[in-house]
Amino acid sequence: MKNFILSFFAISLLFSCKNEPNKLVKIEGKLLPITKETESVKEIEDYIAPFKKKVESEMSSVLSYTPVDLVRTDALNESSLGNLMADLCYERANPVFKSRTGKNIDFALFNFGGIRAGITKGNIKTENAFNLMPFENTLVVAELSSEKIVELCNFLIKANTAHPLSKQVKLVATKSGYTFTINNKKIDKTKTYFVLTSDYLQNGGDNMVFFKNPIKLHKLDYKVRNAIIDYLKETDTVKVKLDGRFIMK
Amino acid sequence: MKRRNFIQKSSAAAALLTVGGLGLESFAKKTSKQITILHTNDTHSHIEPFDINHHNYPNMGGVARRATLVENIRKENPNTLLLDAGDIFQGTPYFNYYGGEIEFKLMSMLKYDAATIGNHDFDNGIDGLYAQLPNAKFDFVSSNYNFKNTVLDTHVKPYKIFNKSDIKIGVFGIGIELKGLVDNKLYKETKYLNPVEIAQDMSRILKEDEQCDLIICLSHLGYHYTEKHSKIDDLTLASKTKNIDLIIGGHTHTFLPKPTVTKNSAGENVLVNQVGCYGLNVGRVDFHFDSDKNITSKGKSIIV
Repeated sequence: MKNFILSFFAISLLFSCKNEPNKLVKIEGKLLPITKETESVKEIEDYIAPFKKKVESEMSSVLSYTPVDLVRTDALNESSLGNLMADLCYERANPVFKSRTGKNIDFALFNFGGIRAGITKGNIKTENAFNLMPFENTLVVAELSSEKIVELCNFLIKANTAHPLSKQVKLVATKSGYTFTINNKKIDKTKTYFVLTSDYLQNGGDNMVFFKNPIKLHKLDYKVRNAIIDYLKETDTVKVKLDGRFIMK
Repeated sequence: MKRRNFIQKSSAAAALLTVGGLGLESFAKKTSKQITILHTNDTHSHIEPFDINHHNYPNMGGVARRATLVENIRKENPNTLLLDAGDIFQGTPYFNYYGGEIEFKLMSMLKYDAATIGNHDFDNGIDGLYAQLPNAKFDFVSSNYNFKNTVLDTHVKPYKIFNKSDIKIGVFGIGIELKGLVDNKLYKETKYLNPVEIAQDMSRILKEDEQCDLIICLSHLGYHYTEKHSKIDDLTLASKTKNIDLIIGGHTHTFLPKPTVTKNSAGENVLVNQVGCYGLNVGRVDFHFDSDKNITSKGKSIIV
């Protein structure tokens, strides 16, 4: 009996020893920046090298040429780069849309914030298209009621920003009101309109809520970036101009 | 009284009896252990360092450099975990050309231990993510995405437990609501479950059932949103849960100079951290454990 008790205690003691609880006593947190002071692991660099070579050669392939800098900030309510983007997307998307529906897109609208980088004059490379449009956004056509088109106008006037609009549109806003035409025609209350934009904006991105719940949504399965690349590939020299498609007086 | 005396003597005798055995030595030696957590978020396919002329981050970042930093810390403390809070994909042409293969292979070379899934990781569709999984030699954890009716079913675990020097570390993942953020045709039948409820469940399972010493949440919810957004964020998640020690966040590309210390639903401290994006930084949180009652009785100190 005594032996039993002894060994029992020995075991329980051992057990409690081994399971002496570890308690959290101190937490330290800090930020470690990765700078040029940190050396590279050669094995990793060597692994990356062939991919890097391939990507760099793809990115540096010349697609087109621009004699001027293309920027989004060369006018108040439009821009050379914004006009180009809206017009080229319309040009690339309309045949796709027409072949599926038999109808034409009325106009295109994108957002100023979606122009992610300018293009310096000279050769335009694949890299420029990626910098301009790094996201995988795709083109969609939203069928909107005339009321939603009015909402869209009011949004543009209130935003007073160079949101890219395609050339089919002319918007002149004054203190007392505005005129808005699509292909030189005023908004027809009995008509619905086909507006080209990106899936991101159609989902209400950048507060363009008028795109939500359209009468019908047509997904074109065509990435914005691919439309840009395809357009540039078939265009020798890009020509853009500011044409006053949106003016605030 | 007599009985007590006897017990004391017996235990002394028992202790003596085990001299040289495995018991006494560990008893005499008070153990102190350190767990190091290294983490990234929103690396967005940034493989190489930024250009030396970059307007914001000249010559910063780079996976090969990150590898050195991680390697050195692992040498210093083998009890290190390397984690990522999602959005591994999308942001450089490497992703557009190779679909995430390079990102996952490099993370495997750096010996990442676990990652959660960000919204951009669906950019090539759930099938695109699934196709790249064989290149990841680490696990994906996500507890509030139900992948039951998708190709990812059984390939993503709600949580994973790591054992480092007898310290049990539970790591679970929380993802952001995909509706409105990602096209439905990309995430298909992935179901989004309430992050707070799931995090409460996860922390209970990890604490009570799995008896974890440390609980870490890898979250892609975002650090903080203003009230008008009425979106769940990491700070809210921290305040509505308990037993979580650290929330490693992502999505909002928030550069926190140091982890935020906030209170959980039981009034205890939780750390919330996020280290910006593009692999510009690595976050480091060290958890020190001790068995010495003289030390543990003083409670927990947080140095950030």
